[in-house]
Amino acid sequence: MTTAANDQLQKRLKLLQDRFVERAQGDVETLGHFARQIEQQQLSRTDLVECYQLLHRMAGSAGTFGLPELGSAARSIENQLKPVVEAKARKISGHEGSVALPADVAMQIHELTALVQKGVSQSKAKPVDAKSQQPDDTYEGSHGMQVQVMALAHDTGYLSGLMADLQGYGFATEVVSFSEPQAAIDELKQRSGATILLCRDFDLSDVLGFRTAHLEKNEHRRFPVVGIGRQNTFESLYRVAEQGATAYFSEPLDLPAVAERIESLALERGARPQGRVLIVDDDKELGERYCLVLNNAGMKTRLVSDPTKMMSALSAFEPDIVLMDVQLRAHSGVTLARMIRYEPRWLGLPIVYLSSEDNPETQLDALAKGADEFLVKPVTDEYLVRSVRIRCYRARQLSDLMNRDSLTGLLKHSLIKQEVERELSRCRRTGHLSCVVMLDLDHFKRVNDTWGHGQGDVVIRTLAHLLRNRLRESDTIGRYGGEEFLVVLPHCDPTEAAELIDDIGKRFSELLFTSGDDSFQVTMSAGIAAINDFPLASEAIEAADQALYARKQAGRNGVTLYERQDVNQDD
Amino acid sequence: MPYKENDLNKVLYVEDDADIRAIAELALQDVGGFSIALCSSGAEAIEVAPDFQPDLILLDVMMPEMDGPQTLQELRKIEATQDTPVIFMTARIQRTEIDEYLSLGALGVIPKPFDPMTLADEIRRIHQAHA
Repeated sequence: MTTAANDQLQKRLKLLQDRFVERAQGDVETLGHFARQIEQQQLSRTDLVECYQLLHRMAGSAGTFGLPELGSAARSIENQLKPVVEAKARKISGHEGSVALPADVAMQIHELTALVQKGVSQSKAKPVDAKSQQPDDTYEGSHGMQVQVMALAHDTGYLSGLMADLQGYGFATEVVSFSEPQAAIDELKQRSGATILLCRDFDLSDVLGFRTAHLEKNEHRRFPVVGIGRQNTFESLYRVAEQGATAYFSEPLDLPAVAERIESLALERGARPQGRVLIVDDDKELGERYCLVLNNAGMKTRLVSDPTKMMSALSAFEPDIVLMDVQLRAHSGVTLARMIRYEPRWLGLPIVYLSSEDNPETQLDALAKGADEFLVKPVTDEYLVRSVRIRCYRARQLSDLMNRDSLTGLLKHSLIKQEVERELSRCRRTGHLSCVVMLDLDHFKRVNDTWGHGQGDVVIRTLAHLLRNRLRESDTIGRYGGEEFLVVLPHCDPTEAAELIDDIGKRFSELLFTSGDDSFQVTMSAGIAAINDFPLASEAIEAADQALYARKQAGRNGVTLYERQDVNQDD
Repeated sequence: MPYKENDLNKVLYVEDDADIRAIAELALQDVGGFSIALCSSGAEAIEVAPDFQPDLILLDVMMPEMDGPQTLQELRKIEATQDTPVIFMTARIQRTEIDEYLSLGALGVIPKPFDPMTLADEIRRIHQAHA
């Protein structure tokens, strides 16, 4: 195993261990509740069994997750309970008396808490390790969502300036000269997400040649080439399109538009999981062949050759789409599709028929009964892969559409509020500090009135991009209202949060928006509250909102932390 | 890897605890280099096994509804898995119980908790011993 692969593995192990510790904390809490019942001699038989099973599970798993002491302590208690559980099981069922256990057992159960706590402090005691193992989760360096842009040129002078401007939008940028391309190639090959290659129009063919020479063909999608040129004539556009540039911008550059295009290219072309496909076909060999072809193209598949198992396979596998043979031996695919629609949760699931039926009338009939599209057999492997991939992509787009705000791609109002609630309960469980931030553009009405709503939208989208680029993958961002954003920052104390948001605010205020020959700048204000300080998520949001209001009163363009007295004084 | 190339490639792992499944995925796939299928219940295993055609099945003993030994019995009724080697994973390591599992036709018993870094080696060792 290579060092990089091993690091990656260690990182994932660590993550799983942290998750286990989090769960174990909840488990010992439940066990503590049982222990108190034991002390009061009120443990019911059902609770005894549950307590026993919980201990058994802990005994069998804690060691795997690096907490062997917790595991053996749980095993020891489990062994003490075992004879009681088995004796009770032999008695007549329905006997609902309480179970008598020695108080010593309760004490041992209480002691488990300390052992779990040890696991918590273990993972916190090694900050250096934790950091190197979780680079995605720190504010320094690049975050999970930061978009990579690489400029390639023979003469890097012009692009260096442009890249510096783009950095202002939060992109990770790099300028590479064709005289020394090797470092760039090595780095590109290691990247898993998308990297946008930026170049001047006259270097375009060299850049495309560079991509062909050094990156696998099936990887080209992740490295779209964006050209920058002087001319905006039909001929010049046609020429760059013919060469294969994915996008083209002519001078004078509309920077927000360039940034937005780069952002959307990166999102669309990142190496995200490519889709889950459930195949229903009673011709096993054919079905397996489809699986193989789709697997090789990076998709996950599950074959159902017995339609009676279809419904359980659906809920176990949770596919993005279903590929259904239209005529199975004993069953009709059309009827099966209708059956799938009986379950409310699969109402939106795309079902694609594989059929040798090319009569449009019959196809229409099937579509009316619940399927979405047809693939007419025989299909070539390449056609199968491409059409399934497109449909998976669309299916995901659709679910994004339902959950995300269309202008910014951020979570919708209701979902981001839910996220605050979830973070609050996580905080309660593990005791970590988290913050909620309410952000608002300053004088946004003035922007709309002066420059038009189109420009207003550009400003909103630009702030959304900047937030996505500057925050960690574990942070969640939502569009709360017109020009209001709500951000959840897990594992982040208020001071840290204030510094971070202040930095984003500064960067944002430096961005220049252009409209015709004019240009303008916009600032933002933010209010921050510690989620932990509130019993309800809605109160934390309200507090952040009050802090935001205080900031607006104090002259906008900055960040205010929620403090009860301050707000009262402002009132 | 210090093992001889043999016909052990596809491993099916049946375990009701999602956290353990996640770490087993690392242990078997990333550390061990197996190609794997993960199932959360005996019923799912019975469904998945004929398609996946595993070379070896790992069964957690204590699972709700259908437990490990029951799952083994059902798997033996299916043509695709009637001879597939099975290893039990259990947190209870009493001699009598181990003997019971072996008498059901299991290749071996691996005690839980397992070490994710050595689980694959352990499986290969048991498998080799019976090859």
